[in-house]
Amino acid sequence: MTRFARRTLIAGAAALIAAPGLLRAAEPIRLGLTPVFLDNDAEVIARLRAALGTGSGRAIELVQRRTYQEVTGMLLEGAVDAAWLCGFPFLQHEPALALLGVPVWRGAPLYQSYLIVGRDDPAAALPDLQGGTHAFSDPDSNSGWLITASDLARIGARPEAFFLRTLFAYGHRNVVRAVAGGLTRSGSVDGYVWEALAGVEPGLTAQTRVIGRSEELGFPPFVTRRERVDDPAVTALRGALLGLSGTAEGQAALSLLQLDGVVPGEAALFDGIRARMRDVQAG
Amino acid sequence: MVPAAPLRGLPLSVRVPLIAAGLMVLVGVVASRQVLVSLDAVQEERLRELARLHVDGLAVALGPSVLRRDVWEVYDTLDRATSALAGQRMVLTVVADEAGRVIAASDPRRAAVDSDLAPLLQAAQAVDEIRLPRGDDPVHVRAELAYQGRAVGQIVSELDVSDLVAERRRAGLYLLAGNALATLVLACGGYLAVRRMLRPVSMLAGHMARTEGVPVAIPAADLPKGDTELARLFQTYNAMSGAVEARAEAERRLAERERFVSLGRLSSSLAHEINNPLGGLLNATDTIRTYADRPEVVREAADLLDRGLRHLRDVSRATLEQNRLDRHGMALTPEDFDDLRLLFSPEVSRLGQVLDWQVAAPAAALAGFPAAAARQIALNLLLNASAAAGNGGRVGLSVRADAEGLVLMIRDSGPGLPEPARLRLMTDAPLQPGGGVGLRLVRDLVAAARGRVEYARWDGVSEITVHLPAGEAPC
Repeated sequence: MTRFARRTLIAGAAALIAAPGLLRAAEPIRLGLTPVFLDNDAEVIARLRAALGTGSGRAIELVQRRTYQEVTGMLLEGAVDAAWLCGFPFLQHEPALALLGVPVWRGAPLYQSYLIVGRDDPAAALPDLQGGTHAFSDPDSNSGWLITASDLARIGARPEAFFLRTLFAYGHRNVVRAVAGGLTRSGSVDGYVWEALAGVEPGLTAQTRVIGRSEELGFPPFVTRRERVDDPAVTALRGALLGLSGTAEGQAALSLLQLDGVVPGEAALFDGIRARMRDVQAG
Repeated sequence: MVPAAPLRGLPLSVRVPLIAAGLMVLVGVVASRQVLVSLDAVQEERLRELARLHVDGLAVALGPSVLRRDVWEVYDTLDRATSALAGQRMVLTVVADEAGRVIAASDPRRAAVDSDLAPLLQAAQAVDEIRLPRGDDPVHVRAELAYQGRAVGQIVSELDVSDLVAERRRAGLYLLAGNALATLVLACGGYLAVRRMLRPVSMLAGHMARTEGVPVAIPAADLPKGDTELARLFQTYNAMSGAVEARAEAERRLAERERFVSLGRLSSSLAHEINNPLGGLLNATDTIRTYADRPEVVREAADLLDRGLRHLRDVSRATLEQNRLDRHGMALTPEDFDDLRLLFSPEVSRLGQVLDWQVAAPAAALAGFPAAAARQIALNLLLNASAAAGNGGRVGLSVRADAEGLVLMIRDSGPGLPEPARLRLMTDAPLQPGGGVGLRLVRDLVAAARGRVEYARWDGVSEITVHLPAGEAPC
């Protein structure tokens, strides 16, 4: 709050002596990113920043952290104006957060979680993986933890007991690497990321095989703090996100992201995830 | 150094260059070996440095992750390091905790998480003790993983050193080929140089080999330049050959003089032989003057005068024959022995000795031998025998031909050949000062005629037998 007050104070003082355009240019919109997409691709990051900057008329600062928890924390404490989070942390902090938009992938704001194993592994389904090693993406990831954990909960098991060893790779691409390299036998990965990887790094995904797909769930959304929904910066960002498919730069960024666009979305999109959370809590 | 047995049969001019070439080959082999050993040391030091850098770099990057036993972080670091160094030296790196339990490996299929590091440790070498393998097998390196000053784990890396091994093999081949070529050139050069250096020795040996009895001086143009050992050797050889030549010349002159010496020894006897008839001849001339009117007395005196003058003529002729310088090439005849007897008899008479003279060889058998040598041999031995026999002694000569040739046998009743005289006659021992050269001249003449001399003594008689083999008749 201290930082927010200082920033407001500075902005107020600046408004008295400077033109609004200059003010906007000096105050970038900070967007937190999580590995819900191929966040290791520098070109994707640059194109996204450029497209959102053009769309919002503001400078965009993209903030990346290793874990969902760090980015969520930054969002909640106001260190970033908005964030591209997974549906699971969105629901975990639903009272404090509001949707800005939901990406559309293959025609719908939905995606799946994949259960993958090594290419030559004989496993056909989750029960076959008992006693093996398993890679999760992040403890706050829907596709990279919640889905598998809830599947296990439904059969009365817990990951740490079902698997011999589990690890968090903090990134869906890392999960694919862990399974492809043989570090773990299986992994829980974002289906959208796996498919996108199959396009840009087919050699990597070819080392893995998908043995399970979850039901379709709400795509990782862009969110902001609920009290900042009407903030000009947030409003500008929302406009930029929803208008991505309408600009050339936005199209280029969406093309690299292998997305169709961003729609406003509704909380009901994430009911599936909400159900999974309940299963885990019940387990 | 003792040359190998197969080399002993070779001449020095080949053997020494071959040994020099062999030594150069040996030096080449030793040098090549030294260079390869140095290359090995350099490569191993390079490999140790690489391994040290590799391990130290990983220790810095992995320390916190190993401390937390963060499997993913360790794997991620190793995997990215392997990808970044794709095709490089690191084949496999395994990181384990301090208890030897694998945290992660760059290739988890080869070293699974939580597996035991011990099997990999067995084949691993410490970084400072890395040795380059002979084959293409990778090298396994082990090191402690230290973080914040304490060991938190262990690292075992499998390094691909096939490029270093190939480099060493290639360098070895190049080196061997280069050294072999250089050694071959040096060996050939050494062979030729030493051979050239030894050429004067070969020339000297050749000169000495060509020398038959008398060494021949080497022409000045062929002498080595400068004051080298070889030049001095040549000068010494030339000086020696000059001395030998001078000695031979002196002996030749001595032998020449010996003919006169032998006559000199007969001179008093010959003077008596001439003087004795002179009284009778003078009496005959007085008789002729006194009894010029008495023809029978004059005739008788004239006959006496004729016989005396004929005797003087024979003595003169025999003396002249012995001293003729143009006798070389003339064949031996019975008359030669008659001359010898005529010359020798006065000496026998003077000493009151008994002479036993037997010439049994026919004229045809004698014709095959040179007169000068045979006369000189016989006269020298007879004079020696007469001197040895002394007053009233016995001296004998027998000449006969046998299947081998001519045999001259001279006997005397003297006390036998003293040792110095025997050495002069029977051996080539150097002449002692003060001794005569007559017997040595006999030996030389017999040797020149390829004959032999024997000496025997029995029943108080010394007997010297000279065998002269039949050869071509002197022209």
